[in-house]
Amino acid sequence: MRSTEALGPDVCLLRPIEETGRGFYITAGILLLGVLWGVLAYGSQLSRGLGVTGLNQPVSWGFYVTNFVFFIGISHAGTLISAILRMAQAEWRRPITRMAEVITVLVLFIGAGNILLDLGRPDRALNVLSYGRYQSPLLWDATSISAYLTASLLYLYLPLIPDIAILRDHSTRHHFLYATLALGWAGTERQIRVLNRAIAVMAVLVIPVAISVHTVVSFVFSMTLQPGWHSTIFGPYFVVGAIFSGIAALIIFMVIFRRAYRLENYLKPIHFQYLGFLLLTMSFLWFYFTFAEYITAYYGSVPEEMKVFWAKFTGDYALFFWSMAICNFAVPMTLLGIPRFRTITGILIASISVCVGMWLERFIIIVPTLSHPRLPLEPGSYLPSPVEWGLMVGCFSLFGLLYMFFSKIFPIISIWEIREGREVSLREVEDRVRSYLPGEQGEDIAAEGVPR
Amino acid sequence: MKERAQTPGGVRAAQLAILVLIWIFILGIISWIVGLLRLSLQLGDIPSASIGISLVAIPVFLLLLGVANYVFWGLRSAGSGEATSAPAEAERRHER
Repeated sequence: MRSTEALGPDVCLLRPIEETGRGFYITAGILLLGVLWGVLAYGSQLSRGLGVTGLNQPVSWGFYVTNFVFFIGISHAGTLISAILRMAQAEWRRPITRMAEVITVLVLFIGAGNILLDLGRPDRALNVLSYGRYQSPLLWDATSISAYLTASLLYLYLPLIPDIAILRDHSTRHHFLYATLALGWAGTERQIRVLNRAIAVMAVLVIPVAISVHTVVSFVFSMTLQPGWHSTIFGPYFVVGAIFSGIAALIIFMVIFRRAYRLENYLKPIHFQYLGFLLLTMSFLWFYFTFAEYITAYYGSVPEEMKVFWAKFTGDYALFFWSMAICNFAVPMTLLGIPRFRTITGILIASISVCVGMWLERFIIIVPTLSHPRLPLEPGSYLPSPVEWGLMVGCFSLFGLLYMFFSKIFPIISIWEIREGREVSLREVEDRVRSYLPGEQGEDIAAEGVPR
Repeated sequence: MKERAQTPGGVRAAQLAILVLIWIFILGIISWIVGLLRLSLQLGDIPSASIGISLVAIPVFLLLLGVANYVFWGLRSAGSGEATSAPAEAERRHER
């Protein structure tokens, strides 16, 4: 083990790994209780069947599929935001990319797990493996999520390697784990070239994979002829909603870890301001797609569509619909649009509001349509049972718990990227900005080889 | 990180085990996709859908496998040389 002096001021990023405070154990204990509730609820469902849930005919999808779509949506926080910022060479990305990438990997596992919950009997998943048919968008989902999960894991791991090597050399714990995962990293020029190349390939690859995943999730709905689902804009509508909720989830985690691990020097107000602007932009985009979706249905006035439309606007689901509109548009508009409210607290409240609003959006896409199916069935209703509530709490608690555990094993802020920013990028950015600007008169023409 | 850490046998074995697991995982998914494609061809069950998706999905998984291998072997074989603190600095030196 070597002295941590070489790390300079960034040594504080290793502190959460080396030291564990009382707050960590209390939070972990609370989250563990949530997970325990989920485990007990699942045990009940496993032994007594799906009859213990509020699922019925015709409302055969409820909380589980809502959570599936919501978690897969949040997964866009990481890979997509991180990859886009990395490719755009946005220097302010450095302290936030790791947090975003971890969100992606964890929620993908939890989101996919919700499908197993919805199956009732998990052994039925084996039928998909043995007899799956690629005409079904459900199988497109399984394939694209597998690709996204693999790509996200790799995309999380690659930028972790130099930091794992720092831990291997400086940490007193988990030496075998760090030595294994560091892959012999010594920071040589050739190793850095290899790693940079791989990260660049992955950054390019994960963007289309991420977009395809949520487009395919939307196909599960839009490929049917159900009222409210059969829409050509569902793909981009879902992708926009996913990025929207992903940014909001990232901001929430940034605020929590900034306070818990005293990262004020790394996660500065400017990072929240920039993400707040992104969130505001996504709020406008989300409103645009929602407006386009509903105005088209209203103008067409197909009787089956209108039953679902009025159920959302004035009927049984009006409370959820208008809460969604307030949470996803009115609150972010107010808190992020007015400079006086655009503080870290304001941005945090807007982000929590967006996460709640996007969960409600997923819920009112799924349940009102199933309650008013196109087939001549009696309208149904859906009331989630305590088992479903338990599993929902369990999923969210598990997400928080796994995130905390990750932060106790690996640095939650990329140490080498911060050092790179400090030591190299400051000079590089100046050169880059100069290259964007017009040169002295005649200089550009001369550079292109045209005689003066 | 000025010098390369000695790699004990246990660590090397664990690294190889991870690489083998990645191979098994990705080849397992590819075999699953190919299996579904074969089944749809045998049953005449709209194989065009399976062919279309296989043509997109299999190259993506192979590319991921390629990146994983490139990093595993690339980092091992490139472990000797002068260490630098920042990747961009190394890129610049290389360009010079």
